[in-house]
Amino acid sequence: MMDFILAWLTVLPGYVVPLLLASLGVLLSERAGILNLCPEGFMAVGAMTGALLCLAGHDPWTAVLAGTLSGLGLSLVFGLAVVVFRVEQTLAGLAIVALGLGITGVIGRSHVQKPFPGLPRLSETAWGADLPRLLGQQNMLLPLSLLLLALIAWFLARSPAGLRLRAVGEDPAAADISGVDVQRVQLGAVLASGALGGLAGAFLSVASAHVWVEGMVAGRGWVVVALVIFARWRPLRCLWAALLFGGTEAIMPRLQALGVDFPVYLGAMLPYVLTLAVLALASMRRGARSGAPAALGLTYLRQDKH
Amino acid sequence: MTPKPKTPIARPGAHPASGRAPALLLRGIDKSFDGHRALQGASFRLGWGEVHALVGENGAGKSTIMNVATAVYAADAGEVIVDGRDVPLRGPADAMAAGLGMVHQHFRLVGSFTVAENVALALRGAGNNVTLPEAARLLSDRADELGFRLDAGARIDELSIAERQRAEILKVLLLGAGILILDEPTAVLTAEEARALLTLVRALAREGHAVVLITHKLREVAAYSDRITVMRQGRTVLDAAPSEGLDMGEVARLAVGEMPPTPPRVTARPGAPLLRIAGLSARRADGSPALDGLALDLAEGEVLGIAGVGGNGQSELVDLLSGLRRPDAGTIRLGPHDLVGASPARRRAEGLRVIPADRFDSAMAPGLTLAENLALTGVSSGRFGSRWLLDRARMRREAERLIAANEGRGGGPGTKAALLSGGNAQKLLLAREVSSDARLLVAHSPSRGLDLRATQAVHQAIADGVARGMACLLISEDLEEIMSLSSRVCAINNGRLSAPMPVAEVTPERLGALLVGHA
Amino acid sequence: MLEGALLIRRQRVPLGLWGATYAAGLVFGLALAALILVRLGVPAPALWQEFVVQTFLTSQGLGQTVTAMIPLVLVGLGTALAMRVQFWNIGIEGQLWLGAMAATWVSLHDIGPAALRLPLMLALSMLAGAFWIALPLALKLLWGVSEVISTLLLGSIAFFWVQHQLFGAWRDTATGFPTSPTLDAVERLPLLGWGQVHAGLWLALGAVALAALVIGVTRLGFYARAVGENRRAARAAGLPVLLIVCSFVLGAGALCGLAGAVIVTGTEFRLSQSIGAGYLFSGIVIAYLARSNPLAVLVVSFLLGGLYTAGGVLKVFYGISEAMVLLVQGVVLLSVLAAQLFADFRVETRRAA
Repeated sequence: MMDFILAWLTVLPGYVVPLLLASLGVLLSERAGILNLCPEGFMAVGAMTGALLCLAGHDPWTAVLAGTLSGLGLSLVFGLAVVVFRVEQTLAGLAIVALGLGITGVIGRSHVQKPFPGLPRLSETAWGADLPRLLGQQNMLLPLSLLLLALIAWFLARSPAGLRLRAVGEDPAAADISGVDVQRVQLGAVLASGALGGLAGAFLSVASAHVWVEGMVAGRGWVVVALVIFARWRPLRCLWAALLFGGTEAIMPRLQALGVDFPVYLGAMLPYVLTLAVLALASMRRGARSGAPAALGLTYLRQDKH
Repeated sequence: MTPKPKTPIARPGAHPASGRAPALLLRGIDKSFDGHRALQGASFRLGWGEVHALVGENGAGKSTIMNVATAVYAADAGEVIVDGRDVPLRGPADAMAAGLGMVHQHFRLVGSFTVAENVALALRGAGNNVTLPEAARLLSDRADELGFRLDAGARIDELSIAERQRAEILKVLLLGAGILILDEPTAVLTAEEARALLTLVRALAREGHAVVLITHKLREVAAYSDRITVMRQGRTVLDAAPSEGLDMGEVARLAVGEMPPTPPRVTARPGAPLLRIAGLSARRADGSPALDGLALDLAEGEVLGIAGVGGNGQSELVDLLSGLRRPDAGTIRLGPHDLVGASPARRRAEGLRVIPADRFDSAMAPGLTLAENLALTGVSSGRFGSRWLLDRARMRREAERLIAANEGRGGGPGTKAALLSGGNAQKLLLAREVSSDARLLVAHSPSRGLDLRATQAVHQAIADGVARGMACLLISEDLEEIMSLSSRVCAINNGRLSAPMPVAEVTPERLGALLVGHA
Repeated sequence: MLEGALLIRRQRVPLGLWGATYAAGLVFGLALAALILVRLGVPAPALWQEFVVQTFLTSQGLGQTVTAMIPLVLVGLGTALAMRVQFWNIGIEGQLWLGAMAATWVSLHDIGPAALRLPLMLALSMLAGAFWIALPLALKLLWGVSEVISTLLLGSIAFFWVQHQLFGAWRDTATGFPTSPTLDAVERLPLLGWGQVHAGLWLALGAVALAALVIGVTRLGFYARAVGENRRAARAAGLPVLLIVCSFVLGAGALCGLAGAVIVTGTEFRLSQSIGAGYLFSGIVIAYLARSNPLAVLVVSFLLGGLYTAGGVLKVFYGISEAMVLLVQGVVLLSVLAAQLFADFRVETRRAA
């Protein structure tokens, strides 16, 4: 039993970290009032870009950086659409996912299923060889993501810029009159969500799977959007939400490794069912928009007649 | 980003006698909202140390011209000169930096933030990087100076309206505003609170601030004002001082255009009891009680006025009566039937009609045409076609008839309801609701936002229905409206209803005391 | 930022302007998509040949386009109907998978007499699609759970269920591939004698006609419009809002379920893992571009059918992934959406006073 739990804990970060990173991105964008359905697209381009650079022989960290930047690039398109062109945010988000999945499908076609070394585990680095297995099996992106979590939690709660961002998501007209550049803040938040989504995607290919296949995000981007609702738009709760989903996802392969005869695909389905059930339960108890930024999804226009 | 001046340009200063340039000078301002001309060559002149009332009807352009002054709106033409200097203002933040502070009708405070957070946000936006404790200290110091208390750590949405208003005024003052513009500041206050506010405003003027009071309640502010500017249909029609022997009747005539016809009188002949509400209670989404054991009786041919400051349970009462929400406890009996569990359709069939405070919230659909909106409640009766098929030609004919009967302008049957002026839309809504089979009309602020003429048409429609024997529950923040139409009046405060009194016995003081719950 | 550009919301959008911005957005999007394809290695002259001549102007190409159009009409209509009552149906693929599974299940167990087998498969697929949308509908009506997320999650769940069946009980023992066994002849929609075009065409056209009738001339259609424009006003006016919302949303699910069965019984003749891919975005694109108008749904689906046909050709001749279809849809949708700005707002470039 102990072995099982240890094994489970060892693989857990591989499932949790991408969900955490992407959900922090969605959180930032939505706290600034921009409804963000894009992570499926951000993660897809991040995963493919990271893999492509690895296959081209680049350093894995360069690949991770490039994956992050690719998410940022796609989010720039989204930001221009919703912030500058005032496009309806649900439709724009879906269009961005289509773009992301389309681009990765078209460009990555010839790079499917080619393994590469990717990001080294800590135990494979010069200084980490003596780490216990539980830590040694991880890579540097795990501490980085926890650091980002702490940073973002601090940023939102304590920093002046965080106060501005929250003001924009709660009441853009009040923020505007207080000298906050609403569009700049929203664009910044969207770009951050793209970068974090891209990083999450790069984690999937470069740090976790060490291979790229089309559709490897497999709906995790949608799950991320649900996790943020379930986390009631609070950074630390995003971690618990990601642990719940990632933890369930991680348990299936462990059970199979133990020889437990459980249908593979029904097992893969379970985290999604769980997410839906948790979302329904949370909404039943607290109301679906509990904790949501007041101006989420609304388009602000100073010249509108107030 | 442009560098912001460290200190505001317009600071509270000496009295106009000292020869300083006017605090604010607006000349030849034009502004249109996609075809609708809100301002046409409007002007405004404000001196230092002066309280200046800006009056006019709804839609006269009062708020619009001040939104131009504070650069919320960009004018199509004209000049904005602050303290003698023609500085281009590119947005509300620029205006704030120049010392122009506006307290909007809908306060520009973030509801989920504390007072201190709101102030810190604004101060930092103006280039003053205060910490939260510093902002809280600045707040309480300034509040002390002005002689009131405010909890800097309280969340805005937990404050009363009057407290929010004070928080907003403090915020604007802390930003260094020399010029203070208050948009309809007394509209949501009780008589007592309004007096306190106007006294505060006078004190600020003594300090040398220039203050603009935008209002359509001339009588209320005239005594506190040094100057009055009247606007009508986007133009400035008068700028004078009450001390120069100004006739208030003349001012009212200028604001409206001509003398309004005499208001309708309701001849109350109360008949058989019709509506009986007992023990009605409901909670808001956050669990706080919206209505608390509300009870009332209403007879046929009678108007019961419910006065009260907005947000004291009025909207919830209207929704409970229309059937859009369920009470936690209580009964609503209309004649012999208990309506608590009844669907909106059943209630309509029993003769219950509702005019909500915002017609596009729950009465009309802005995207539907007038013909469709007017037929919305009649289709189920089979008047506009069979059970399955719709008779659009009949819908159009019926709409033409109603529009003609109400001297409707600005739209035919095919016009989208959103494009109609508030007055015309409200008249048509009343025509739909106050039909021959209406037995009880629940009217919530039926004349809010309408000009005098439309208000009178609305009141006439209600009076006509009541003369036919319809009962009316009139819920309004406008005491004049309540007093002119009701036969009995009660006050709603914090979800509780005071005992009704005959309209003849109502005095502003008694009602004021009831409104704040001191009776 | 952007203070130089002023946006002023138009109270009234002139029809001509609306049409012009829509067309401009469409043209810009298509041009951009063409540019991308050229960059990917398709020679420019071939674009005309593949996207116009071979898809719309030859009998064989037109037949393929019409065949591709059939399920697109059904999913587009399914999204459009739900949108009419303010319900975002983004779980199109899930409902489609359920419909396809229901049809396959009837076929595998030879349920009912052979003569009624096909109607039974189609009917059951509609029920299954409606069932799969009923859950998000109930969650939304009861507790306000966002249907955007719940329908999406149910899409993923349905796909895992299909894989579970195909890698398990339903695997074709003859080939060993993860597909269901081929359908019997009686279980297939009859061909109309024009390429692969099958009788599903009549189902799609019938659905369009029925939807147009309901929306245009019936009481239910009028009520749905009122609910879509202002739900609270509709309730206060005494309309049976719950009934209207449920019938439109369940109808939407049923149409998407039917699309699944039509693909299985009309073109593929078996259930496989790839038949549902891409319909999610196509449904959204069709419903948005057609502005939820059933006749426009038919037109847009037809054009999109051409894109699907061309996509297949490009894959074979130029080695371009079918994801190209998705990419083009995304580019065009974004372009039309963004162009809308110029219709909704008056854009003025000047400095504020």
